[in-house]
This record gives sequence, structure tokens and C-alpha cells, in this order.
Amino acid sequence: MKPKKWLTTVAASVVAVSVLAGCGSNNGSNEASPSASNPSSPSASSEGGKQFENMELNVAVFQGGYGREYWDQIAEEFMKDYPGTKINITASPKIAELVRPKIVAGNPPDFMYIAGSDNTPILSGLIKDNALTDLTDVFNEPAEEGGAPLKDKILPGVLESRSSSPYGDGKVYLAPYNFGVMGLWYNKTLFDEKGISVPKTWDEWFALSATAKENDRALFTYQGLYPGYLEEIIVPSIYSVGGQEALDQFYNLDPEFWKSDTFKQVWGILEKIANEDNALMKGTIALNHTQSQTSFMQGDAMFIPNGTWFEDEMKDAPREEGFQFGFLGAPAFSADKPAMAMTNVEQMVIPAKAKNPELAKEFLKYLYTDNSVKLNAEKSKAVLAVKGAADIAKEYISESMYNVYKAVDEGIVTVNGAFQSVAKGSKYNPSDEVFKPISSIMNKQMTVEEYGDKMYQIYTNIQNELKENGAQE
Amino acid sequence: MNMSMKTRRGLFIAACLLPGLALFLLFKVYPTIQIFHKSLYLWTGVGDEPKFIGLKNFVDMFQDDVFLLALRNTGFLMLIVPVLTLLIALVNASMLTQSKLKERGFYRTVFFFPSILSFVVIAILWSFIYHPTMGFVNSGLELLGLGDWAMAWLGDQRTVLWALAVTLIWQAAGYYMVMYMAGIDGISPDLYEAASLDGASKIQQFFKITIPMLWEIIRVTIIFSINGVLTISFVIVSVMTAGGPDRHSEVVMTYLYGQAFTNSNFGYAMAIGVFIFIISLLLALISNKLTERGSH
Repeated sequence: MKPKKWLTTVAASVVAVSVLAGCGSNNGSNEASPSASNPSSPSASSEGGKQFENMELNVAVFQGGYGREYWDQIAEEFMKDYPGTKINITASPKIAELVRPKIVAGNPPDFMYIAGSDNTPILSGLIKDNALTDLTDVFNEPAEEGGAPLKDKILPGVLESRSSSPYGDGKVYLAPYNFGVMGLWYNKTLFDEKGISVPKTWDEWFALSATAKENDRALFTYQGLYPGYLEEIIVPSIYSVGGQEALDQFYNLDPEFWKSDTFKQVWGILEKIANEDNALMKGTIALNHTQSQTSFMQGDAMFIPNGTWFEDEMKDAPREEGFQFGFLGAPAFSADKPAMAMTNVEQMVIPAKAKNPELAKEFLKYLYTDNSVKLNAEKSKAVLAVKGAADIAKEYISESMYNVYKAVDEGIVTVNGAFQSVAKGSKYNPSDEVFKPISSIMNKQMTVEEYGDKMYQIYTNIQNELKENGAQE
Repeated sequence: MNMSMKTRRGLFIAACLLPGLALFLLFKVYPTIQIFHKSLYLWTGVGDEPKFIGLKNFVDMFQDDVFLLALRNTGFLMLIVPVLTLLIALVNASMLTQSKLKERGFYRTVFFFPSILSFVVIAILWSFIYHPTMGFVNSGLELLGLGDWAMAWLGDQRTVLWALAVTLIWQAAGYYMVMYMAGIDGISPDLYEAASLDGASKIQQFFKITIPMLWEIIRVTIIFSINGVLTISFVIVSVMTAGGPDRHSEVVMTYLYGQAFTNSNFGYAMAIGVFIFIISLLLALISNKLTERGSH
């Protein structure tokens, strides 16, 4: 071929191949092919002599950093222990998208594990629609024959919190799965080498700004495009200043919260971060989570808020030499109060319209057995929300992660919470309304006062909508 | 043979059109009707029965500050991006067709390349170009000693829309450039020769010959380009800024998506969809009318 034609051909094929570069993504569902043992007896009885009318279970799970091996394996184990049953698993990072049409058509999976910020909104929708099965009886039943009720095994406070009991009536609609701890992280090696002591109060924390400068870094960065991460320092701080009362005001959408001292003190911290020299890392506001986390690990900032998934998420990311994960939680406001951390619990549900709720509930109970907790630790490298799970998981999770969980067991006070549901048809999403404008505070384009006034108005509107909705029911 | 040639041919044509028509009705017409229908309801889009509320969604929409902000943002992009895209495309097309550069083919490929990239890839690429410390823009400014001008382009409400506009223009300019080049190739070179013999400069030729002769094509690309902004902006905004900072880069499509899937406020989202549909239609009609000329 003549050179010019050859060049055109090469250029055309480069262009063509690069188009294919976009096709790398995995597609959604994989169906695990279950091996049903004991197909001979038609009315198969399972361990403990339990019979089920319907022996087939449809399970949909989120497939994220924790992978899907745990689910595949636990299903196999379940099918062995309950011969004759058949479990079909659909796993995907975009599980909400896959499951949504089935739910809308009235044919939801029997059991769902939904996690990941893209997927969890579908749970809010189901909660608003009262479309979840009441699971309270599962937790009141004994975990094993003649033993203590299952709820005794679960970490204290979890089943009573809004993440499990969304209607505030004591009934459990969302079962807890993995639990994570969130708060501030720092480079342990740096602190050890330079003899920097871990700050216990916010004043001590701000004082480290000068030390940070000496070490060529800003004091603080966060995931700029996603100011929701700041809840990891805001929520513990609210509790630290105003106690459970203030936290309830915040989460129950009480407008008076925005006129309280608690608000002024806690948001004062954010204002200070925005205005003090060297406090906020330059450019933070425009960084996404991966970029800001990488900057932190490369030593451009001293602290960043994040959760126990941090190390695993960034396992391939570059970092400064000798970097080690250290966890601090959130500093207290005065020296006499303890350090705190925020916890979050992943959720599993059984839709109200599930075809096979009995078997689904049995499967749910099965997930809390010791064997399952161990398998979860081994395959997902995660910690289930049951007592002693951290020790069971010890050999599988990293040392820094184990230390965080141990710290929770031994002294850091933990807080947890979720916003009350807004009225159906409300355009407000409390999480968005509270956290997104913080970007403007960090950009110094909004003062905390203006923010407070705005939030007061929004919370009042939300309450009015709820009253109207209640009047219409 | 009972059927005449005409009937048989008619049947054959109908049979060929039928699959396409069926798919069109099923995947385009039916969902559109559903959108209009559901916009009159209160519905979470997940489980429950939709509840009829008439035009309340539309009334709420115009009292929704965030929606109005998203509308302003979208309007800004829909104005700036098509104008600059088409201008750059026209100028480049004109230069490439008129010049005698040997590397014409190379330039054409390079300019066209961005328009075939996946939008997500473009968004991630430009996120890094705008990166506050490592990106091309700020590093380049510092290299030139203009470090003071370096800012967090995607994080400041004053610059974020302009930054996104640049990305959108970069993506589309090459595509329209190639279209215009094809159009210009159709213009008889005698016109240009005659004009230059009469003493017209290149710029005069551009305005007096190229643009009028391409006018029909330009009309079509105006509409394409405005609609393109609507659809492409969704991906670009979602990936590069998540609508931030504080909603200042929120566009109607991202707001629609948020209301539908995050807030489970499906009926409201459909109402926004209806509004966008009507606006797009109006814009297309208006721009068609305004650019109309008597046949020549």
C-alpha cells in the first residue's frame, strides 16, 4: 500500500479500536448455578425437620468491594443444610437498577441485600411505600434451638436505630449486615516518627495546623464533590455537644435545630476550616473521593474523613513512603468528653410482595450463625453487625481495620442515625439539603448564618408537607 | 396471481416498515405517552399505586428553587455551547477545506476523534485536566508563571459552568466540523475563484459564500447541537461535578434523575421530563422559523 493510504488505515483502526475501549464494563446479573442436593425426595425435609411450601428462593445482592463469593458460598451451605431448596442469586454493582423493574411489576426478589450509595435510595422508596416485610419476629425467635433470641447476638443499639426500624415503632424492617466505622484518618507513621500526639479535642486538632505546615501539608481535606462525607465529623460532633436530644432534633427534621447552640458550635468548626490558613487543602472543593483520598495518602493533607472500607478501596493507590492508616474518629469539644465515631450498618430486606417470605426469613436467620459470620469475614473481609465479629474476622482483615473495630469495642463512643422519611412526593432529600450547601460554606460564598436560615426554612417546609400528608391519609 | 404488482409492492413495503415501526412505537412512543401520563400522578416509582394529583407537579416545579437554578444552568449551556461549537466547527471546516495543507487528513481525524469517545471517558479525562493541583490547566498556568490564576475550576460556582461548557464544546466541534466540510466540498470551487478574482478576501468569502451556501446544513446542526447539550450534559455533570458545588452545575436532566431515583419522586420527575420535551420542541420550532429563508 502506498504510505498515505497506509497511514489512513492505521488512523482508522486506531479510532475503531479506541471505540472498543469504552466496552470494558461487566454486565449486570450472573445467575449462580445452585447444586441442589437430594433431588430424590419430592417433599424434602430440611435440618430440624422444617418444611417449606416453596423451596425456591430468589436473592438479589449488591456486588461491590466485598465481592459476591460470600453470597455464593453461604447459599451453597444453606442448600446443603436445607436439602431440596434452590437459591438463585443475582449480583451486580447496579443491583437497584436490575431489581427496580421487577419490583414495579409486583414480582420482587424474595431477599435483597442493597448497599452502595447508588442503590440505597431504592430502599428509601420501599420504606415510603410500606413495601417491606416486618422482620421483628425473626429477631425475637431463638438463634438456635432453645437458645437466646437472635436480637441478643446483634450489636447493641442497631436494631433500635432508624437504619433497622425506620418507622420509629420498634419493628424491624431492615436487617443489619456489615457494619462500618467512620471518622477521621491520619498517617500513623508520620505521627509516630514526628512524635505528634493524636488530638482529643477540636482545639488540639486545629492547633496541629502549624505542625501540618511544617510537614508540607494542609491540615484537612475531604471528598469535595461529595460533601456528604462530612457527616462523619458533623454527626459525632452534634452528639458530643448536644447529646442524643440534639441528634434527634437533627435527624427528625426539627427546624429548631438550626437555631440551637449545637448547630452554631458544630458548623463553627466547618467555618473555621474554611477560613483558617492552611486548614483546608487547596482545591479540595473540586476533588472527587478517589482524588482527595489519594492526595491524603500522598501526604498533601493530614486528616480526611472516611470509613473502614478505606484501606481496601485504595489498595492499589499510590501513597507516601511508609504510609500507615491511623483512625481517630471525631475529636470531642472538651477534654472531659470521649472521642467518638459514626457507624453505619448495611441493610438486607424482604419485600412485602416476595413470593417466598418464609424461606427468605429462614435464610436471613442462617446468615447470623457463627459459621456464616466467619465465612463473611473470610470472603468479604468485612465485619458483620454481631457481637464479637471483629475477633472472628481478625485473621482476615487488615491490622488497621481490626484496630478500628477494637477501638469501638473498647471505648470510642459510637453514634448512628438516619433522617426521618419526608412526605411522599416531597422534592426534598434531607441529606442533600443539609450537606450540599456546605460546599458554599467551604468556598466562603455562604456564611453559617445564611446557611442556618436556609435550613430552617427547608425543615419548616418539610414539616408542613408531613402535616399535610398526615391530614390527607 | 390475484394481487396486482402494485398491491404486492405495497405489501412488501409495509412488511419492511413494520418491524421498525413496531420498535419505534414500543420504545419511543409508548414511553413518551407514559411520561405524560405519569406526570399527573404522585408515584414513588417503586411499589405503590400511583395517585392522581392533576397538575400539582407542574405547579410545584415552578416554585422549586433548585429546579429553577437547574433551568438557568441548562439554559446557559444551551446558549453558549451551540454558538461556540458551531462557530469553531465552521471556521475549522473552512480552513481545512480551503487550505492546501498536506496534513489535512490528520487534522480532520484529530478534531473528529473526541466526538466518538464515550461521554464518561470524556468526563473523567476532563476531571483530571481540571484537577486543582495535578491537572493540565493549573500546572500549565503555573509553568507560565500565572499560578495566581489557577483555581478549582470545577469547585467554584463562578467557573464551573464555563469549565463544563469547554468540555462540551471540545466533544462536539469535530463532529460538526466534518459535517460542514462535507457541505463545503459540495460548493462549486468556481464561486470561490470568481470571488477572489473580484478581490474578495478570505474572510469576505467565508461570510458571503460559505455560510449562505451551507445555510440549510447549519440550520439542522443548530437544532442537533442544542438537543445534544441536553443529553450529553447529564453524563458530564454527573461524573465531573455531581451537580455541585451546591447545585450550581445542576442541569435539568441530573435533577430529573435525582428526583426519580434518589428521592423516589417519580411523578415529579416525569413532570420535569414533560417540561423538557415541550421546551426542546419549542426551541426546535423557533430556531427553524428564525433561520428560515425563502428558497433560492
